[in-house]
Amino acid sequence: MYSPQLSYMPSTTSQAMTPGLSSFLKSLKSNPIDTSIENLISLLKRRQICHSRSCATATAHLLRSVVSLCRTSESAKLIERVQSVGRRLMAAQPREMVVGNIVRRVLGLIRDEAEDDREAEFALSESESQPQTPRAFDDASMPLDRDSLAMGTERSSRPPLTSMFSLLSHPEPEASLPSTPGSQSPNPIPANGPSSKDLRAEVLVGINEIIDELDQVDEQISTYALEHIHSNEIILTHTSSTTVQKFLLRAATKRKFTVIHAESYPNNHKVTHDTVSGNLPSDDDLLSFESFKKPLIAHGITVILIPDSAVFALMSRVNKVILGTHSVLANGGLVAAAGTRVIARAAKVHQTPVVVVSGVYKLSPVYPFDFDSLIEYGDASKVLPYEDGDLVDQIDVQNPLYDYVPAELVDLYITNLGGHAPSYLYRIVSDHYRKEDISF
Amino acid sequence: MADSVNPAVTSSSTTAPSQAPSQPPAENSPSQTLPIRDSKTANPPAQSDKASSKPKDAPAALVTGGDGASDKPLTPAQLKAKAKAEKAARRVKEKADREGGAGAAGGSAPGASGQPRPPNTPKKDAAGGGASQKGVKGAPPRRGSGPVAQTGAAAAEPKKKKEDKSVAVFSHLYGQQRRTTVNGAAKEVHPAVLALGLQLRDYVVCGSSARCVATLLAFKRVIESYTTPLGTSLARHLTTHLGHQISYLSTCRPLAVSQGNAIRALKLAISRVDPSTPESTAKASLCDMIDNFIREKITVADQVIAGSAVEKIENGDVIVTFAGSNIVKQTLLQAHKEGKRFRVSIIDSRPLFEGKSLARTLANAGLDVQYSLVHAISHAIKDATKVFLGAHGMTSNGRLYSRVGTALVAMSAKERAGGVEVPVIVCCETVKFSDRVALDSIVVNEIADADELIPVNSPQQVTGLPDPAAFTAPPVEPKKGGKAASAASTQESTDSTRVPSPSPLAKWKDTPNLQLLNIMYDVTPAEYVDMVITEMGSLPPSAVPIVHRMSTNP
Repeated sequence: MYSPQLSYMPSTTSQAMTPGLSSFLKSLKSNPIDTSIENLISLLKRRQICHSRSCATATAHLLRSVVSLCRTSESAKLIERVQSVGRRLMAAQPREMVVGNIVRRVLGLIRDEAEDDREAEFALSESESQPQTPRAFDDASMPLDRDSLAMGTERSSRPPLTSMFSLLSHPEPEASLPSTPGSQSPNPIPANGPSSKDLRAEVLVGINEIIDELDQVDEQISTYALEHIHSNEIILTHTSSTTVQKFLLRAATKRKFTVIHAESYPNNHKVTHDTVSGNLPSDDDLLSFESFKKPLIAHGITVILIPDSAVFALMSRVNKVILGTHSVLANGGLVAAAGTRVIARAAKVHQTPVVVVSGVYKLSPVYPFDFDSLIEYGDASKVLPYEDGDLVDQIDVQNPLYDYVPAELVDLYITNLGGHAPSYLYRIVSDHYRKEDISF
Repeated sequence: MADSVNPAVTSSSTTAPSQAPSQPPAENSPSQTLPIRDSKTANPPAQSDKASSKPKDAPAALVTGGDGASDKPLTPAQLKAKAKAEKAARRVKEKADREGGAGAAGGSAPGASGQPRPPNTPKKDAAGGGASQKGVKGAPPRRGSGPVAQTGAAAAEPKKKKEDKSVAVFSHLYGQQRRTTVNGAAKEVHPAVLALGLQLRDYVVCGSSARCVATLLAFKRVIESYTTPLGTSLARHLTTHLGHQISYLSTCRPLAVSQGNAIRALKLAISRVDPSTPESTAKASLCDMIDNFIREKITVADQVIAGSAVEKIENGDVIVTFAGSNIVKQTLLQAHKEGKRFRVSIIDSRPLFEGKSLARTLANAGLDVQYSLVHAISHAIKDATKVFLGAHGMTSNGRLYSRVGTALVAMSAKERAGGVEVPVIVCCETVKFSDRVALDSIVVNEIADADELIPVNSPQQVTGLPDPAAFTAPPVEPKKGGKAASAASTQESTDSTRVPSPSPLAKWKDTPNLQLLNIMYDVTPAEYVDMVITEMGSLPPSAVPIVHRMSTNP
């Protein structure tokens, strides 16, 4: 379970000075928990942790500490504690939706474990917190009856509540093995006596699974690469997403194809140039610990770097557009690096399939009513450098960091669970998050 | 830096004085790349002597040769040497012409001898092309720094063979590499044209109309200083004389649609000159024709277009435009002058950033300007009410051929998520109409130097404080270029490990499988264009071929 931390170590030694994911994870053990929470909040606010996965990893590690240090015996208090920490984290950076996603998953974990324990006080809190769950039987008698019921019948009678359970043992082969015995072993224990400690232990196991998932998600996604990339195809991609790079690298081990890489000027072009030319990015804590052994070009893949403006001109020759994303919304739309929307649109116009690769952890239960609120604006000096400072007073310079891409522009999502149509995403959302946690 | 290869090798025949020391090694490079060597060695050794003695005299002969007037009187011996050198140069050129194929015309011929010729036989030629590429690598950015690259060529040694760096889909557009110096230009080329060629290449004169006007004005000077040689008529000889100028210009940068149309009109006018008219009258009438052409087709046309485009702007409009079109600028300024209140959103693109000067002009005039780059198209288009676009040309099938990225803007305007389409209005003089057709941006295009894409971070020191960047990267870039060029391969490798390169792309030519593509234009489908405003009225894009036929065959 601690292997992810071990793999961070090299990068922490090299750059312990710069605040970021690695320094945060290092300090997590030594600092008191409240300091760590404050630390992460300020890191998020200052955008010193800004990649989706870094945010998710930091949140998961923090919540693991929170849960393990929370000396409570009641699941309700644990939930309350996680909720309060989660609220503060989300308020620190509302546009990093993965933070909320991880908090919701942890909350779901606690609720699931608590339900499995079937303690009386939780049945009450559950009945008041989840009024919309359809109940065939009388509410008051139901929890008492259930005590005597067998596990299997209970599951079949209440599918929505156990959906989280089934999720944990979903296609991830490594993850399913520990989760199945893990979730069944506590069943005899609650009968023996008070189980707060076991509840916490179970939750910690679950959080560790989330951390493991975050660690392996790119590899899991890349296993689908060979299904989607074939010989002599021309693939267009944008920005330097690690997930996309791993996806392409996996395909490159077996097939020869061409990659056209739009450089995503001005916000991400430097990293893109590094990625394309195979320089090891040293300043990015996300990529440095990744064993980025060989770039695509070293696998004999021709990589053509183009400015973003040339996307339309080249789209007529592109077979497939593969995009990374910042977060995915429940309606099938996504928030991704600025420029993604025109690329997806150009692909649509040319009838080119658009494939979005994303870990399930980026899937957010948020439904966007106000798209503008999802967009973050960045440093205008990247658009208009200081040499043109005389212009800055006179004109309005805009540098949006993200684009909202509507679901109809995406043909396929590939997550670590497999490929999905955009219209199917709501189902994965309901599998992953409990209704009562969607707006906590 | 690809196009600096050309002059470097060209220097074998004609070299600027500053390169004289580096001459002998450079002399070898073309002979190694192409079969010239065989013929050269077959020649009497005296020829190579001539060739190597020539550089001292050649520059004077060539740079001033267009006028035929040299400042200093030459001694008979010098004259003789010069004549010999010219003869040798011509011979090399002819040989190169034969071998280099039809693509290299006129003044570019010596350059063509060292050119890699990617599509034909990449395996064999790659060695030569690679050698020259290798030699130039590390030289400072191309703009305004042409001759420096030649020291790089001096160190050019045939090393391991290089892969073809041209993007396969566009291989038909990688003709000859662009000229970087006036070296090797045909002696007939007029100095005004020589200067214009460099301005075109460096994007000093940029934009379809501006290039057209500048070309015509330069040709006017050519015609003014032209005298018909004995034994031929003006109508016949002036056309070929202009042909030299044109082929020189096209080696600097491929001709624009408008340039082509203007040249066609001029050639037509020349061919109509009655052989019996005296030369001075004929020249005067041709100059008049050029003036009229500029006035009718561009100056007045722009006023007419701006006038009718202004009518399309209403109070409260949010107008999106892409890059920097002169006619759009004129329209917006005029609308502002007429007291219309509107907002302008300029979308700009790498690497030319033409929108910046447009933004500056408009902001100085007091307009409300918003500025963003291509990545923000969907944000800029969100509150747009109209899109005004300039054009490089209009193809005969009604498509708009304009700066790369225009198609993205037009597409976003037509497919806005809100459902309301934004009208896309193109302002275009009829001189930019072309009889070519294009289905996509690959058929017709212009490949610019890919090195323009490499971000040059040259921190300019403003204060007197020590430069913080100097600690990490001590050698200033041009210095490093010179050093790397003179260094052998081993030193280069140590150099690269010791000094972090300014951009990871700086050595893209040495990175296998990595290609950079810098195309200049794209083709916007006709269905994205609602209206083309020309001096002949506002048309749908489908009317382009009709108007073009009308304007070329009156």
